[in-house]
Amino acid sequence: MTPGSTGAPAAVVVGAGTVGVRCARELLGSGPDGRPSVGALTVVTRRTDRRGTLAAAFGSEASVAVDSGGGLADLVRGADVVVVTRAAGEQLDVARAALDGGAHVVTTSDDPDEVRGLLDLRERARASDRSVVVGAAMAPGLSCLLVRHAAALLDEVDEVHVARAGAGGPACARQRRRALRGPAVEWRDGEWVERPGFSGRELVWFPDPTGGSDCYRAGLADPLLVADAMPHLRRVSARLAASRVDRLTVALPMLIGPPVEGGPGAIRVEVRGSRRGERHDVVYGAFDRPSVAAGATAAVVAVAAGRGSLPPGAYGLARLDAPRGFLQELARRGVRAATFEGSREFGVLDTGSSEDANA
Amino acid sequence: MRGVRRAILAVCFGVAGAILVRLAGASPTAPEQGGWRELRGEELR
Repeated sequence: MTPGSTGAPAAVVVGAGTVGVRCARELLGSGPDGRPSVGALTVVTRRTDRRGTLAAAFGSEASVAVDSGGGLADLVRGADVVVVTRAAGEQLDVARAALDGGAHVVTTSDDPDEVRGLLDLRERARASDRSVVVGAAMAPGLSCLLVRHAAALLDEVDEVHVARAGAGGPACARQRRRALRGPAVEWRDGEWVERPGFSGRELVWFPDPTGGSDCYRAGLADPLLVADAMPHLRRVSARLAASRVDRLTVALPMLIGPPVEGGPGAIRVEVRGSRRGERHDVVYGAFDRPSVAAGATAAVVAVAAGRGSLPPGAYGLARLDAPRGFLQELARRGVRAATFEGSREFGVLDTGSSEDANA
Repeated sequence: MRGVRRAILAVCFGVAGAILVRLAGASPTAPEQGGWRELRGEELR
């Protein structure tokens, strides 16, 4: 694969599920400067029966390749950036192969064990001067960008709490079920604490129209990525919205096939700390279809990685020093973040006046 | 007897309170909420 005539990076999307296809669509769009986001794009699928459908859908804009097992190194050779959108738990080997092939890597996994494995690639990535972005989806991903953005408003941050509602495609729905079974990991005073899944019910207010939803501890990757970026934090936790039906069926395998496209979802991040000696909370959120937000986040990060704009190493998006540019680009692509303006007695920090915002 | 009277009185106050809350247009279970506002402009620059 060779970069296109525009000099834009050559990208390969490995995994042509709901998130992968949306990510590929985003990569085919133009950037804020009107130039193509990528010079060349290849979508890799393992399903031979989907090859024709994908080729028809993308036409001449992207080439479609089938990974029949064992030939992944050839498929990613020459790529500037490889976006891994396979199911959580199946991304680590692809990331290793892409890194060995000399590409920057963007992964979308939210499986805690796999995220640990991906973070362990940091030395290998630094040695080859490549970036491995871990968990560039909706949560983790957009949630990590919002955490970083919120943290910039405070002088000192000591707690981060993330919550998520909804799932993307079928693989994401299955991973959500696994996550609810636990165990959940939380960062407390410099130590990892394991808690059972589906415990610690908390009513969380997501951006409208999701609104209030009961959320529970679950095996989510957000605490791993946030604590990796901000090890000084006292507490980091993540919760997942679930219903009473989920509680009844969580131990069972998925008897009814998960939906091809999940319903609307939402994320909410709460960053607690102090500013000018006073306690404050900053609450950010986003509402969108998880696969849409995940695909857009992965694409925006992939473009930056492919252009060599990201530092070498393996890390989550909470480690990026300038999250605003990414949030701005995501907003341009229709994935908009929101801030919660609560009552002042709870110490919610004013993140900017409405007049300024509308200016 | 006095206990019964107090219990009836408490229930009456509770019912009256719930009616007043609903008349005021609020949800009896939702906590006081602020609102969500889109991040834009200077907040993303």
